[in-house]
Amino acid sequence: MTDLLYWLQGPVPETEPPKAEMPPWGETKVVGKPVPRVDGYERVSGSAVYPLDFALPDMLHAAILRSPHAHARVKAIDTSAAEKMPGVRAVLTAFSPGADVPWYRSRGRFYSKLFDERVRHEGDEVAAVAAETRAQAFDALKAIRVEYEEFAFVLDPREALAPDAPLVHDGGNRYGEPARYERGDLAAGFAAADVVVEGTYSTACEIHAPMEVHGSVAKWDGNRLTVWDSTQGVFVVQQTVAAALKLPLANVRVIGHYMGGGFGSKLEAGKYTVIAALLAKRTARPVKLFLTREEVFLNAGNRPANTMKVKIGAKKDGTLTAIEFSSIGSGGAYPNGADTSFLATDLYTCPNVAAVDENVAINAGRARAMRAPGFPQGAWALEQAMDELARKLGMDPVALRLANVPRVSQRRGNLPYTSTGLAECLSGGAKAFGWETTREKRKDDGPIRKGYGVAAGMWGYGGGPPATVVVKLYADGSVNVNSGAADIGTGTKTVMAQTVAEELGVPLEKIQIEHADTGTTQYSGPSGGSKTVPSDMPAARAAAIEVRTKLLAGAAEELKVPVAELKLDGNDVVSTKDPAKKLAVTAVPALQRNQVLVGVGTRGPNVEGKVISMFAAHFAEVEVNVRTGEVAVTKLVAAQDSARVMNRLTFECQVQGGLVMGLGLGRTEERVLDRQTGKMVNANWHDYKIPTALDVPAAQEVLSADLVDTECNTAGAKGVGEPATIPTAAAIANAVRDAVGLRVHDSPITPPKLAALLAAAGKKG
Amino acid sequence: MLPSFRYVRPRTVAEAVKALAAEGARAHAGGTDLLGCLRDGVFDAKSVVSLSGLADLKGISATKDGGLRIGALTTLAEVARHAGIAKGWPALAQGAAAAASPQLRNQGTLGGNLCQRPRCWYFRGDFDCARKGGEICYAVEGENTYHAVFGGSGCYIVHPSDTASPLVALRATVKVVGPKGVRTLPVEKLFVLPEVDHTRETVLAPGEVLTEVLLPPPLEGGKGHYRKVRSRGAWDFALGGVALALSVKDGKVASAGVVLSGVAPTPWRVPEVEKLLVGKALDAKLAAEAAELAVKGAEPMSGNDYKVPLVKGAVEEALLALA
Ligand SMILES: Cc1cc2nc3c(=O)[nH]c(=O)nc-3n(C[C@H](O)[C@H](O)[C@H](O)COP(=O)(O)OP(=O)(O)OC[C@H]3O[C@@H](n4cnc5c(N)ncnc54)[C@H](O)[C@@H]3O)c2cc1C
Repeated sequence: MTDLLYWLQGPVPETEPPKAEMPPWGETKVVGKPVPRVDGYERVSGSAVYPLDFALPDMLHAAILRSPHAHARVKAIDTSAAEKMPGVRAVLTAFSPGADVPWYRSRGRFYSKLFDERVRHEGDEVAAVAAETRAQAFDALKAIRVEYEEFAFVLDPREALAPDAPLVHDGGNRYGEPARYERGDLAAGFAAADVVVEGTYSTACEIHAPMEVHGSVAKWDGNRLTVWDSTQGVFVVQQTVAAALKLPLANVRVIGHYMGGGFGSKLEAGKYTVIAALLAKRTARPVKLFLTREEVFLNAGNRPANTMKVKIGAKKDGTLTAIEFSSIGSGGAYPNGADTSFLATDLYTCPNVAAVDENVAINAGRARAMRAPGFPQGAWALEQAMDELARKLGMDPVALRLANVPRVSQRRGNLPYTSTGLAECLSGGAKAFGWETTREKRKDDGPIRKGYGVAAGMWGYGGGPPATVVVKLYADGSVNVNSGAADIGTGTKTVMAQTVAEELGVPLEKIQIEHADTGTTQYSGPSGGSKTVPSDMPAARAAAIEVRTKLLAGAAEELKVPVAELKLDGNDVVSTKDPAKKLAVTAVPALQRNQVLVGVGTRGPNVEGKVISMFAAHFAEVEVNVRTGEVAVTKLVAAQDSARVMNRLTFECQVQGGLVMGLGLGRTEERVLDRQTGKMVNANWHDYKIPTALDVPAAQEVLSADLVDTECNTAGAKGVGEPATIPTAAAIANAVRDAVGLRVHDSPITPPKLAALLAAAGKKG
Repeated sequence: MLPSFRYVRPRTVAEAVKALAAEGARAHAGGTDLLGCLRDGVFDAKSVVSLSGLADLKGISATKDGGLRIGALTTLAEVARHAGIAKGWPALAQGAAAAASPQLRNQGTLGGNLCQRPRCWYFRGDFDCARKGGEICYAVEGENTYHAVFGGSGCYIVHPSDTASPLVALRATVKVVGPKGVRTLPVEKLFVLPEVDHTRETVLAPGEVLTEVLLPPPLEGGKGHYRKVRSRGAWDFALGGVALALSVKDGKVASAGVVLSGVAPTPWRVPEVEKLLVGKALDAKLAAEAAELAVKGAEPMSGNDYKVPLVKGAVEEALLALA
């Protein structure tokens, strides 16, 4: 419905600056420690109730009828048979009252509707049913008669720009004009180069495939709607649903406590939420609507396929003189991001750069932000080109990168970074990997060849306002933390509890997190963009400090000493001058009088004149069987610069998961569309190949550059979820190149591709 | 969503045969393949006949001639970890261990593995393909990375089973009980090429139940191996592979079973290679020659010519592993 992403377009929202001074943390007691998840037991034991588990008395079950065609017009639709089927309570089509909802907005224009009579990809919504049981709902879908007029379709972004290409949208297949970026003088840069490399690289379309499918439960109480949603951001869902149903925000409550993964595909409200709400209204019953796994593959987002051209020029000593980058990708049948040029323009120091991103429409499922949208693709191209450059220069690829580490963000006004750990990641990672030593020991005979590769990356968004957190200290000394942020499995609740514990000295067992509920918690943007720690933890810290300030003030009054003399020490407020002067926290009169002390914390603005970015370098070791084209990734080392590590365990979880996802891009994952029909042939867990435990190396090492950054925000932490997956695939591709002397330009590197390339090159064991 | 069907639990093979002779009846062993097909609407079922109550289909026992009888309901996990099979018929143990995933091997049976339906994504997907009675094989003009390079005509599936190729290489037989009585046939004769009938994979007639697999006694100097190449480490069918059952006497190959998997609509025996090997000492040169011969005559489609070098490599590697 909207194109609200996690880096919001338009003016930067603000929350007022925090009231208290928050000097950088020195040595911390709780923050940074490897604290297990505060909700780990609930998640692991199965007692945590995820939206998919959710049930209400009297609840109906809904299902969506979707287009089987890649491009068609709904000529006629007959729901009469379905309506008469046992258990069926409502059928919704484009013609139902209230269902004429515009959808997929971009640049001020809506590209479609809740149910569009023109379907533009397999899986586009056509109708929906609510019935007493899920089976009855699906049976009813089969009884809906739809007459389609089929149209020609286009699947390849490059073909979509051909003059005679079928039009996905009237008015042309471009989503806006190509986005261009330029600095310096490209021609002069290449003229000054001693060495130039050039290549075309492509990445396959990936599906997020979170463990929990997408869906909602909707329930009305008069004109108030409550939605239990599997989402990364309850407030985004609230805004979209309220607009779609023309309700005030206050009438829409969205709850998203536990959720089973999103990777960006749940950063926006789905049509399913609004459909569930409309069906619930029609039937005056709660309605549960969850997608099937196949529907998630077809219509819950993807990382678009990209084709990228890179040309790099450099001096003999490795100094970059020019980078030219062009990318074409597709947001899908409806607009969404497909740009990949960021890294090419900002990862390395280079005076002369030109980049262009083209985003076109095709007749396939729409993209949604997927873990560092555009960046792993950009790294796949840029970092393979850098590897080629290193070879051509006869330079170590780590040294080549080190020679071009930027101190300022050239793409963003040459502003300095608050901290930049790219060099630390490259050298620290190389050391841990044994970059120098292992590579020398390699033997190059036999059918199994070892190879080593490195790639770097960065993530350009460091969080920011708005975020508000409320901390409540109860009369018994226990604490309630109230924040609208979703914990999408990354450990947000745990890290927030640690942040509050750090300031209040309360043990973690005494802290409860109340979160992700638009009715009862404070505004937070959706959890994405690696921004939840850098955006919400400063607000939590400010709220805790406000509680502490009130507590100390109350104690000072009672103890008759100046506030400045008091400190919070576990369960007591104690004078730093006279330890005999102390008061139990629970005995502070101000707390006893009110029964609660409340602190409200906000996220202040980001530092002016500086840029916040996270950096990473990944190292891969592979073994390639030159007889069969099989690739085993035998070792991965990830060195990350996220400044402060808030929790060593959740940090490692994020990076390990990032590596596995990067391995999926590099080695196994690929949406396959049938060229004859435009239908996805591998829309299931088996044919769409997520890496299994056997594909992931036992040796995965995670390092943190551990830089001290006192400027990025008051938690000193930059976030890690996305940078952890950006360079992995490129590092693997470079390792494969190192092993067999062949470069695989197109992801994923499968035995079919490699066996064919090896055969063509005449390689044999 | 599963369709609705009648569920029948026969106590004896005779009752099962009778129930399965009815129109639209489907046998249910471990259900790992059947339930997926029903849920995805690949085919329908009027009744589903459980085999799990049939004692005759269970257990592993030695036969009088020194061979082995494996009940059709034996799970792949049981086959994979059976010490006797690993010793006497290693290609089968390795084939069973290479199939699917641990969960599926614990539930899926050997009989079901031989009778499973193909994994072609057009057959499994929302396409009215030739094998489902439609007009065309979508793989011909479409996405055929995983399709056949041998034996296709009108339909280009590859046989999905990792136990079928080893069983053909081992010259195993199956016992089948049906409305017309009992018959025993070589596993090689169990499967049907599309040129004969492109709508089914086995010769089993309505009502026929595969009750057991019979392995001949281990050969003197016997060696075996199953090599499977796949895109990911588990939960993935063969891109190509080979089952070897050789016997070596006085340093020379005395008999050879060489059967490819993942390349044809049936397990693909390569008799020319078997002939080439016999009477010769297995060395690197012979392995290379045999590998070359194994893929001779392959007819790749637009997207699967990689299978030729891949299978060649797998055959060479597998032979060298036994050299
Ligand atoms: C995701 C996935 C991955 C897989 N990967 C592999 C793989 O890599 N390699 C591999 O070899 N297999 C693989 N399989 C297939 C799996 O091994 C088979 O599903 C299993 O062996 C079938 O056994 P079952 O007992 O569950 O059969 P069922 O599902 O019960 O039956 C399968 C079919 O055979 C028929 N049938 C079963 N038993 C008999 C009998 N005794 N007589 C006559 N007809 C019978 C049924 O009617 C049905 O049509 C995979 C399956 C899945 C779902």
